[in-house]
Amino acid sequence: MKPPLRVLVVEDNAGDARLLREMFSKEKPGSFEVTHLLRISEALTHLATTQVDIILLDMGLPDGHGLETVRRTRVVAPNVPVIVLTGLDDEALAAEAMKEGAQDYLIKGQIENRALPRALRHAIERHRMQAETDLIRTHQLEFKDEFLSHVSHELRSPLNAIYQFVTILLDKLAGEVNPDQHQYLEIVLRNVKQLQAMIDDLLEVTRVQAGKLTIEPQCTSVAQAIADAVNTLQGAATAKAVALSVEIEQQLPLVCADPTRIRQILIILLDNAIKFTPANGAVKVEARVFKDNSDLLVFQVSDTGCGIASGMTERIFERLFQASDPASAGRQGLGLGLYICKELVTLQGGQIWAESTPGQGAILSVTLPIFSLRNLIAPAFRKARRTHAPLTLVVSQIGSDTGWLSDEARAQHTQGVRTLLQRCLLSDLDVLLPKMGSAGAAELFFIVALTDSIGAESLTRRIRQQFDDSDPIQQAGLTLSTSYQSAAASQPGSAESMEVSLERAATSIQKLMDEEFSSRIVTNG
Amino acid sequence: MANKKILIVDDDLDVRQAMHVRLKANGYDTSFATDAMSSVSEAKKHSPDLIILDLGLPGGDGYTVIERLKRQPALAVIPIIVVSARDVRANRDRAIAAGAKVYLQKPVDNAELLAIIRQALGEPAEPNDETITGNWKLLA
Repeated sequence: MKPPLRVLVVEDNAGDARLLREMFSKEKPGSFEVTHLLRISEALTHLATTQVDIILLDMGLPDGHGLETVRRTRVVAPNVPVIVLTGLDDEALAAEAMKEGAQDYLIKGQIENRALPRALRHAIERHRMQAETDLIRTHQLEFKDEFLSHVSHELRSPLNAIYQFVTILLDKLAGEVNPDQHQYLEIVLRNVKQLQAMIDDLLEVTRVQAGKLTIEPQCTSVAQAIADAVNTLQGAATAKAVALSVEIEQQLPLVCADPTRIRQILIILLDNAIKFTPANGAVKVEARVFKDNSDLLVFQVSDTGCGIASGMTERIFERLFQASDPASAGRQGLGLGLYICKELVTLQGGQIWAESTPGQGAILSVTLPIFSLRNLIAPAFRKARRTHAPLTLVVSQIGSDTGWLSDEARAQHTQGVRTLLQRCLLSDLDVLLPKMGSAGAAELFFIVALTDSIGAESLTRRIRQQFDDSDPIQQAGLTLSTSYQSAAASQPGSAESMEVSLERAATSIQKLMDEEFSSRIVTNG
Repeated sequence: MANKKILIVDDDLDVRQAMHVRLKANGYDTSFATDAMSSVSEAKKHSPDLIILDLGLPGGDGYTVIERLKRQPALAVIPIIVVSARDVRANRDRAIAAGAKVYLQKPVDNAELLAIIRQALGEPAEPNDETITGNWKLLA
């Protein structure tokens, strides 16, 4: 005989609970084992110690509200399917709950006879199949990734040997080389480099496809990325007698993006521009605040090359797209560069587009979000619908047992820690900020919370709990400490507008963060 | 003055030969090892002035080699340059923490490698070395 299905009902309304109990009592004895609790706090404690097969969750409990109850349940019991119970007028909320991971919803008072057990069994089955599909997909992706990384490694070794010996011949380490031989060896070398670049692009595209293109947004300077990229490609431009110039607006604001990725985008754009520009032409990089939207920064790479055929300005970003007139730029490569660019820009919340007058060159433009503390916390303020909410800055610091957190550990665990912290944010009133800067020996994470010290205290506790439960982070020997400080919020009853209090909040938070950083700067003597 | 001696540890014959040609042309003598076990005995036998070490080796990886070298006072002082195809982000700090001077990712730029060798051996820098190794601060 099958063991009974263990059902946890979390419902505070006595009438609703009784109705559910009656429905279960009509089923065959021994087919359900129902536990009934009144509070979400009780339910979470129960779930932490007891196995259940499915949860029936009311969304209007006295100690938890709406989506928050679903989220908290999913944190404690991610592998147990949840069906939410809602009132007749709450279907929109129920739909939101499904997005949060609930399997289904039942409208109270509308549950037909015998529909309940069916809904439970379906939810469990659907949940099981979903988990299975996810697992298969993960395995497939892992296999593909491993295969490609293996292949690329294997392709690189022979290519490296060719490169080494060609340069040995070119450097005349094996004797004199006559001018013809020298020229032919240069051709081999150029092709080796092209092949190398293609392997790199291929790997990048497989990462795009696997959704593994990592972006670590932080508060960073586009001007610095431009300087780096121009420095990298100056040689190629000079070799082709193409003038490379830079024009950056004074006091260019910082952006919220991944500096490595900005550099990568710029290098692809500049490399293309130089490739399509004939000798004595010019390539220019410009950066300024975007005039159509002051929340964005725009940088442009323009050239005096052959331009883009009309009607093609959008197609050039397609995967494997090739210009129809290859004569203008020699061999093209795989046609992956601009595709990679578009992925990278989009993932960072920006846009990329091209404008061109054929024969007179092209302009490629990229926008990226300007870093603004005000904009980051604005949605939470709007949600709170009051200008005098208490404001707290929570700071989590990840360090290592050995003192200094290595780049390796940083690269490996930052994303994991961010996901973990994200999970601790219970409502839309907490905002995890992007990386704000380098803090020497440790890595700092900032959360702006529209709450008082009691709320901050419980957030700190949740973080500690999540951290204790995280095996990869425990095994890496990382240490965590979390602290919080209240920031200057507006006085209750003050007549400040939303805009004024947002501005005040942003300034206050920024000041607290600056203090955090300066307190960690290590000075010698 | 006798040429400085460099031990090249790599399991790929082509890599060893290319590096040998390159180093010999720049006035260095070379010796070779092809796996983790023999690299320590080769180091003992030839007492090289510098070791160029790959990470992926048969019989234990490059880290085990560094560890064994560092355990013997006479060998511990020999500067080690790790040259590997493995991902820089995941390996550089580990290699340096283990005792390597520098981590270079394959394919290695020859001018860069030579500049770093000169620096590690305390030899006078060539005119372009400064710009090439600007990014690399060798650990004392």
